[in-house]
Amino acid sequence: MEAKPALSVQRSRASQLGAFGTSGAVPPSFPFLPTSVEGTYAKCSDALRVSLERESMQHPSSVVSPSSSSSGAVGHIFASSSGISTDLQFSSQQLEGKHPRQSPFISQSTNSGESVILPYSIGSKALQSSTSSHCNNQNNGSWCTDSLPEFLDFPATAQSCPLDGSDSGIVSIQSEDLSKQNDWQDWADQIIIDNDDLTSDLNDLLAGANVAEPEPKVLIQMSKDSINYSMLQPHASQQLSACATAGQSPSSNTAPAKQRMRWTPELHEAFVEAVNKLGGSERATPKGVLKLMKVEGLTIYHVKSHLQKYRTARYKPESEEESSEKKLTSIEELSSLDLKTGIEITEALRLQMEVQKRLHEQLEIQRNLQLRIEEQGRYLQMMFEKQYKPGTDLIKGVSSTNEYPSNELTDAPPNSPPQEISTLEANNSKGGDSTNLATTYSETSRPVAGNPKANDAGMVESPSSKRTKVDE
Amino acid sequence: MKFGKRLKQQIEQSLPGWRDYFLSYKDLKKLVRLISSASPPLECGKAEAEFVCLLNDEIDKFNSFFMEQEEDFIIHHKELQQRIEKVMENGSEKDYKEELAKIRKDIVNFHGEMVLLMNYSNINYTGLAKILKKYDKRTGGVLRLPFIQKVLEQPFFTTDLISKLIKECENTLDSVFPPSVSSDAGTLRGEKEALALAGEGIFQNTVAALLTMQEMRRGSSTHSHFSLPPLKFPDSDILHTLQILPPIQIP
Repeated sequence: MEAKPALSVQRSRASQLGAFGTSGAVPPSFPFLPTSVEGTYAKCSDALRVSLERESMQHPSSVVSPSSSSSGAVGHIFASSSGISTDLQFSSQQLEGKHPRQSPFISQSTNSGESVILPYSIGSKALQSSTSSHCNNQNNGSWCTDSLPEFLDFPATAQSCPLDGSDSGIVSIQSEDLSKQNDWQDWADQIIIDNDDLTSDLNDLLAGANVAEPEPKVLIQMSKDSINYSMLQPHASQQLSACATAGQSPSSNTAPAKQRMRWTPELHEAFVEAVNKLGGSERATPKGVLKLMKVEGLTIYHVKSHLQKYRTARYKPESEEESSEKKLTSIEELSSLDLKTGIEITEALRLQMEVQKRLHEQLEIQRNLQLRIEEQGRYLQMMFEKQYKPGTDLIKGVSSTNEYPSNELTDAPPNSPPQEISTLEANNSKGGDSTNLATTYSETSRPVAGNPKANDAGMVESPSSKRTKVDE
Repeated sequence: MKFGKRLKQQIEQSLPGWRDYFLSYKDLKKLVRLISSASPPLECGKAEAEFVCLLNDEIDKFNSFFMEQEEDFIIHHKELQQRIEKVMENGSEKDYKEELAKIRKDIVNFHGEMVLLMNYSNINYTGLAKILKKYDKRTGGVLRLPFIQKVLEQPFFTTDLISKLIKECENTLDSVFPPSVSSDAGTLRGEKEALALAGEGIFQNTVAALLTMQEMRRGSSTHSHFSLPPLKFPDSDILHTLQILPPIQIP
């Protein structure tokens, strides 16, 4: 069991380097990973395994491209809600991509009776973007150390995928990778990351890793590259906080380079000012801009990537951001074909604008409704907990207008919300005007507070349903 | 699998660069099915952790994509403003007209893209909510409520900034476009010829998104009080005629 998680973690790291082409096999020779690392990497494992599978299926090299094509730096600061972090219990489940063999259940190569295999048919890119975010964490320097041994071992032990192709693929991709990393080598030297941490991690893993012959030279090179590589991940973000072991706070523990910065117009203003002071977007350097901006928490990576975007937006205004529009929207083509006059184009644009405004309006309303619904749910949950705590006698069989089976607790709201929402629906179907929604909803939500009786009656039913669940 | 189908349609009709960043609804659904059917009591905790992990992965995906797009939009917005300023100052008649025409188109498309990003956010949220509901239903868990609370706070769902940019865009439009001739009711009914030639583009996606939204909110078998009420557009028939479904799936 220990081995499996370790292995899959390694594989995931390896897949980060775009090199891994096997799936499934679990040589039981990697007992070394400490549990903490296990925990941290646990998140990576599945998504990465999937990408791993996809790698082996399709394009071994494809992992390299999405990451390296994205803009360079990776400054990330945005601290996502720490609430998302749950206690990660490392599970040994494994996901397999679509194989020619199509084994939807426990694969032959892995063993444990617990694995849940899922034919994961996501686009590989999607997975890669998420996977790339996952393996970016404090110990990112350390992943590569494990990947090499894997390469060496796998050919011997992996049973599933065709290895021949992937082996050579591995080698070529590795070199491709290395050369691409070279550019970043330079400013890798300016890294703000605490290099000591990384090297100590590396050492730990090397020491603990009694694995088959890791070649030190290549390892070191790889580790540097992996550091660089991690810089390239544009999606490296608050993944740690998202799936980290409980207690890890999103912004403080992770190295600065990992977190994504959420830019605002004000920040951008400051950025533009700084750039202009330095003589324009071509002449300004990230370091200079960073110094001028004097914004706390902003790293050079953030600035660098933002600067890159800024440059492309300015100097290729027609071909960069609008390229898709230009190619796709035919209104301009129409004008060039002289089929339509300027006025008609304007009218067509107006129409497009109307439709877009309509969609926007609807989205806003929908979003507000969704927020309200969840707010209601939270309120009810709170009420329920208050009720439940004193251990009041639960009156079973309280009649309610609740139409839903009581075992769906979260979908079985007590009386009052249904009443509100049903009136809401009634109004809506009558009026057909969606703007009524927001107003009627807000109007009818008031009765909740003023209707304690209904609440209680409703509440009483839910505890019984919840209780059954808890007992199960 | 109604939502799944709708989502898939929406993805197919979305901008090419966006297609990989939507919710992997189908796969999550399969996972839920697997978990509910395969898990002995021992597994429940692990399975749930696994599921949560995957969901978090998805959320990260959304967040990254969303924030990246948002950053681009902020930059673009500023650029547009500068261009407009320049054009307003500019004396020369001919250049002015051309540049103005370009700016108009750019503003409209920019507006459209931002709205589509909001749609992206919303549809992914909806998918998450649905998958959580399914999970709870099938496994008897209580994952949904607390989890969705966290989702609500995520960057990809907090679209206030984008909304603000969109409104600013609409305001700028007035200064750049000549005063409107036709009335509100008329706008949707005119100009169909121009759009008949429109291919896969922002406008197309917007229409598709609107219609999808309407479809999704029609009553379903699992319509509950946590569901959104049905959506009725007065001129949805017009919208339907504006919609052009791609004949071939674009890879």
